[in-house]
Amino acid sequence: MRIERRKLRRSVICWLALAPLAVVVLFPFAVMFLTAVKPADEVFVYPAHWLPSTFRWANFADMWQAVKFGVALRNSLVVSVSATVLAIAVSIPAAYAMARYRFSGKGPYRQFLLVTQMLSPILLVIGLFRLAAMIHVGGGNMVDKHISVIVAYGAFNIAFAVWMMSSYFATIPPDLEESAWLEGCGRARAVLKVFLPLAVPAMVVTAIFTFINGWNEFAVVYTLIRSDANKTLTVQITDLVAGRYTVEWHQVMAATLLATLPVSVLFAWLQRYLVKGLALGAVK
Amino acid sequence: MTSNARGRNLAPWLLIIPSFALALFIIAYPLYNIVFQSVHEVSRFGIIKGFCGLDNFRLLFADPVFVASAWRTVWWTLGVVGGTVLVSVPVALILNQDFYGRGAARVIVMLPWSVSLTMTAIVWRWSFNDEYGMVNVTLQRLGLIQGPVHWLATAGTAFPVMILVGILVSVPFTVTIFLGGLSSVPTDIYEAARIDGAGAWYQFRKLTLPLLRPFINMAIVLNVIYVFNSFPIIWVMTQGGPSNGTHILVTYLYEKGFRLGKPGEAAAVSLFMLAVLFCFTLLYLKIQPKQGENA
Repeated sequence: MRIERRKLRRSVICWLALAPLAVVVLFPFAVMFLTAVKPADEVFVYPAHWLPSTFRWANFADMWQAVKFGVALRNSLVVSVSATVLAIAVSIPAAYAMARYRFSGKGPYRQFLLVTQMLSPILLVIGLFRLAAMIHVGGGNMVDKHISVIVAYGAFNIAFAVWMMSSYFATIPPDLEESAWLEGCGRARAVLKVFLPLAVPAMVVTAIFTFINGWNEFAVVYTLIRSDANKTLTVQITDLVAGRYTVEWHQVMAATLLATLPVSVLFAWLQRYLVKGLALGAVK
Repeated sequence: MTSNARGRNLAPWLLIIPSFALALFIIAYPLYNIVFQSVHEVSRFGIIKGFCGLDNFRLLFADPVFVASAWRTVWWTLGVVGGTVLVSVPVALILNQDFYGRGAARVIVMLPWSVSLTMTAIVWRWSFNDEYGMVNVTLQRLGLIQGPVHWLATAGTAFPVMILVGILVSVPFTVTIFLGGLSSVPTDIYEAARIDGAGAWYQFRKLTLPLLRPFINMAIVLNVIYVFNSFPIIWVMTQGGPSNGTHILVTYLYEKGFRLGKPGEAAAVSLFMLAVLFCFTLLYLKIQPKQGENA
């Protein structure tokens, strides 16, 4: 009983200490939600109020039309899913090599991955644009094509994917595969039969985070994608705000909320895997 | 295992080739192209007009906006990374305690990570709106300010506000790294310290901090790289304005390259930034010889 009391006291202290941060973190979500459901004429009144007089859910339907949310949503899905598949497909073998082999290329490759992290897309954006403009396929070049964004995202996510997966792969005991070899199983077959099933959770988690990265990325699409029909959510919504004098904030907030919430829920559900994966990889 | 030693030596190389090739493809050409453009006169449509040596760089260093942006980038990086580490260490220590609702607390702390920087910037821009933003509404309701504060209309307030937003979005990643570090700290040394009568502050300074040291260094390095390159927050909230007063190098680069139609100068900014990052990394490896060997 005493211990319970002590834990309770500690809980109160911990929550009090975290309260300011929690308020700041939740503040934008509250703003998003409460602005999104406000009737338009209540958004721009002075002095403004936090709470709407009625919850106007129709804002979401209006926004869907006005923002062309459906098109942007489909584009975001296409780009993020394809980039994830690409990044994971090339990263799995690399992560396996980093986790299971001792070879002279290991250190340099690690360094190379760190360098790719340093050369963020925004630094290379001028060159990326020229690259896309230079490659001609069929009638036109690769500017304003999803494939150019997909390849770029795929490449920039390799470091993260290899990092995460190799640290998880390293926690799968190698004896399992080794005993499979002893039983006359080839190395490749042992990997396929014994290692891969155990590694699937790590791959799925990594894939989801790569997906979220792609979903949230901005600079590359902002630069490479020109037409409204091909824009992803982040760019489509930014275009409603950037450099404009009149902004329909209730619609913008409805759009940001819809674009953000599903990913946040997914993230909240999976964040504990990040703690493990990144920390293991960070100081190895 | 010795039977196919040669095969084993070759295998890891083959396994890393696909990812290496893809990463190299997307980095090597743009990098080459940036170097090329930076020493040429380039029209706004990307047409090369001729070799111009270091003229682009000369133009840059003569541009007071560039010089101011470069210095502001230093403050931006120091402010965001410093603030992030100062907030993250205590938060990670708290989240490492055993208390009721810890799972929920972790989720809340991690939440900003899940939101696109762009979306975060849009929501904060709206929140800091002069008349209708909820920040002014709340502060006024609490009696902390009299009239609306024009947060984003002057660089003097807009820049600190954006640094705070930068800290907020960097905390989750940093806390994640620290939590990983704390989970590797054996608990029995604390027991021993407590038996020896060491106070909480002493334990923190003599045990926790040294053990967290490599993780703090790692977080600082990665955050410096990310924050130095961070584009969406400032681009969405102020676009570098008012009157170029909140530009950092990345926003200056983007404006030069895609708004003002000076790809040559923009490429020169890219190279300048790469050089800075490179120097920073070298400096880090110098200071951290042990870390460098392990990496």
